[in-house]
Amino acid sequence: MTSLPPGLIMIITAALLPFVPHIWRQGLMLGAIALSAYGLMLGAGDHLVWQVLGYDLVLYRADALSFPFAIIFHIAAALNVIYSWHDRHWSQHCAALSYAGAAIAALHAGDLITLFVWWEATAVTSVFLILAAGTDSARRAAMRYLIFQVLSGVLLLAGAAVLAAKTGSIAFGAMTLGDSASWLIFLAFGIKAAFPLLNGWLQDAYPEATVTGTVALSAFTTKLAIYALARGFAGTEYLIWIGAAMTALPVFFAVIENDLRRVLAFSLNNQLGFMVVAVGIGSELALNGAVAHAFVHIIYKALLFMSMGAVLHQVGTIKASELGGLYKNMPFTMLCCVIGAMSISAFPLFSGFVAKSLTMTALGDTGIMWAYFVLLFASAGVLEHSGIKIPYFAFFAHDRGFKTGEAPLNMRVAMGIAAFLCVAIGVYPAPLYSILPFAVDYHPYDASHVTGQMQLLIFAMLAFVVLVRIRLYPPEIPSVVLNSDWFYRRLAPQIGRPVLRAVMLVWRAFLCQMRGFIDSFWFMLERLLRSPIAGPTIPGPAALVQLLLLMGVLVLGYVAAGA
Amino acid sequence: MTSKPSQKTLDMQKLGRHFTWFLIAIAVLLVGLELVVHRHGVAAIEDSFMFPALYGFLAFLFIVQVGKWLRLMIMRPEDYYEGGPSDD
Repeated sequence: MTSLPPGLIMIITAALLPFVPHIWRQGLMLGAIALSAYGLMLGAGDHLVWQVLGYDLVLYRADALSFPFAIIFHIAAALNVIYSWHDRHWSQHCAALSYAGAAIAALHAGDLITLFVWWEATAVTSVFLILAAGTDSARRAAMRYLIFQVLSGVLLLAGAAVLAAKTGSIAFGAMTLGDSASWLIFLAFGIKAAFPLLNGWLQDAYPEATVTGTVALSAFTTKLAIYALARGFAGTEYLIWIGAAMTALPVFFAVIENDLRRVLAFSLNNQLGFMVVAVGIGSELALNGAVAHAFVHIIYKALLFMSMGAVLHQVGTIKASELGGLYKNMPFTMLCCVIGAMSISAFPLFSGFVAKSLTMTALGDTGIMWAYFVLLFASAGVLEHSGIKIPYFAFFAHDRGFKTGEAPLNMRVAMGIAAFLCVAIGVYPAPLYSILPFAVDYHPYDASHVTGQMQLLIFAMLAFVVLVRIRLYPPEIPSVVLNSDWFYRRLAPQIGRPVLRAVMLVWRAFLCQMRGFIDSFWFMLERLLRSPIAGPTIPGPAALVQLLLLMGVLVLGYVAAGA
Repeated sequence: MTSKPSQKTLDMQKLGRHFTWFLIAIAVLLVGLELVVHRHGVAAIEDSFMFPALYGFLAFLFIVQVGKWLRLMIMRPEDYYEGGPSDD
């Protein structure tokens, strides 16, 4: 039983959920997650290998890199089950559990074909979390999301095929960027990791999902991509450039975005940048940083999405221009949101601090100072959009006169657990450090580091207070902010449609012309055949039949002579 | 005639004032600590007096200002994607 790939039991259970009454469903899901986690006890090694067509399909490989990701994916799946306990319909539970299961199974894929299967499975299962919102915009966003996710899978499969043709191996291990196979796979990972210009699907689709769906979405796909990059492309210098751009650029978009869940999606992109930079550095300390960051990020990002989900669930909107003053209505949610905000901002004693420090120190060790200062700048940006903007506009800012209370108990329990983990890991990081891929000899809490970080954060907050007091902080405006999805949602149709129309016009004219030629040809042939060939008594078709018969006789003659 | 602010608005204003003073108190404490803690950074410039504080303060102002400029370029009405050609 334990040699089954972790996650598979969750997918099997998900298939049974439509037939299970609500009262048992959540318990069954938690049981499946626990059983899947129990499978991790098998330890490192290749535990399930199938030989197919001469290739080794490694369905269950565990090692020091997959282990921390597997743990946090199980925790995230369990948190999501608790958070969505109130939802009595099976469809979203089914999608969320199979999505988490597919992501966990993907972590344990030891070859590119198995990875491809689970890679696509995460896409197909997760899209239902967006569709479940039931709105027209969600349906459209879901289709765009699916196109990008499937494209990523197709690129991965193409890369695997090229690799197999060249080397005869489909093993998923460290690669060097250079040949077409590695670039195809790199691009496939890059789409799911939301590289610059490939990130539109993330900010487009995640905020369109349901209250509970966004929480699940925030945990798995992108962190699976970080895991894949860490395994395949650790130490690839391009990733430092790409990651640095990812940390800095979304910050500016998040400042002016009105939808608070979309702000969090930009923030997610920014956080992925830190991890991508760490993978690009590739040292043991940096890879520990990437994994630790992914681990804590899943918790505090889920917490922030949960708190905004709770607000959306209670109030019916998540737009900054319509929110405010909820701190008295939803004090517990506000507290959890602030804990999530402080964690993502990397305040000392919160989880973000103990993880991000690893990456920053590793980056400092490389001597790539420009990237170091970009990430330091991005840290102030994180504080701006996730640390301040989210709690400020949702719970303070303006009194909108809402008459609502706290979210359902199960939502508060999930938020409470996540908030507890944020503080617990921040205060006592040793258990987290003990499961990182490499041995850790790092102490985040030295006076120099703590005071430096506090200076950065507190004075950035003072800048916010000054801007608000002198009324220079940008007000919330009902709007949409154009992102890279604009290229295919607006530019491509605007340019593409006239071009397509012109092409179709030429094509139709060509077809018309060709039809004319063909008609003329048949007409000529018909006339030729109908015209007498050998005098007035033998018409063309009769001559043709005779010709064919004679040819047949000739062929038969040759065959007979040959035999 | 301006409407009278609600009790909650007044409470939030009071909370804001307390929070501001709280931040100022921590900032003063950090300035004091800077004098006694030997803070060292990765780059030499980081060892300058209150460098992270200045960097954080200016970075925040820069982000907000660039955000305001960006609004002029990439902010659109809420129904921007709803009209026009279908994006399916």
